[in-house]
Amino acid sequence: MDPFFLVGTLVCALSAVVCIGAAVLRQPPNDITILSVAAVELFLLAYTVGAVVRQVTGEPVLGEAWEFWGYLLTALLVPVGAFWWSILERTRWSNLVLAAAGLTVFVMLFRMEQIWDGVAGL
Amino acid sequence: MRNRHEATPPGSRAQQGAPSGAAGTSRATGPGRLLIAVYGVFALAATARASFQIATKFGEAPLAYILSAVAAVVYIVATVSLARAGARAYRVSVVAVTIELVGVVAVGLLSVFDAQAFPSETVWSAFGRGYGFVPLILPILGLLWLRRNRPGRPRD
Repeated sequence: MDPFFLVGTLVCALSAVVCIGAAVLRQPPNDITILSVAAVELFLLAYTVGAVVRQVTGEPVLGEAWEFWGYLLTALLVPVGAFWWSILERTRWSNLVLAAAGLTVFVMLFRMEQIWDGVAGL
Repeated sequence: MRNRHEATPPGSRAQQGAPSGAAGTSRATGPGRLLIAVYGVFALAATARASFQIATKFGEAPLAYILSAVAAVVYIVATVSLARAGARAYRVSVVAVTIELVGVVAVGLLSVFDAQAFPSETVWSAFGRGYGFVPLILPILGLLWLRRNRPGRPRD
């Protein structure tokens, strides 16, 4: 199992649980939920650096490389978009928007792993 | 329809864009914000997927890939119209979300009973199984949300 994927899954799951929990407690987005989404973004940045390093050092993407990078660049925008959309109206529902960011990034990460391993069929 | 819109004096346009107070803005609030966010994600996913399919292998299954593109357009229109205020945007979202529901059910049935016609995956194949059946649930929630927030209904 790819350690990057493992860490990413953990970060995304943690963020989603924290944000859903805050929504259940009827909290508007607060420092903790916003920071948890920031952690997802931070992970994605680290993943990007890792992906560059791995590809340069002879661990190529087995699937379509441009598809992998398309996913990654889009995924980088997801937490930013969710943050922007959630702070426009500070209700508990906005915490579910933040939770959706973590879940979406996880699904995209899963797809990126498939593409990297060359098992993706779109 | 279009004529009336074009004839709208600039003053009422400004009113439409007013940030709050107008009853029409209510669809992008509360649960509606989550709904629009999920629609946005699907607009993005469907657009990316359709572009990829049409760009790389359109000849393999033209019908399925055209449907992919149609789904992408429907999601984009639904996202934008749900987020916008006003009665016109409301009607557009009702149409878009209804097409979405019909699309996911029709493509779902066809892909299950006539797999030959749909050899390739689309967002709506097998009722959106590849996407955790969210494509099937989304239009139902969308229509319920639109019904609850139809123009002229007293707010509670």
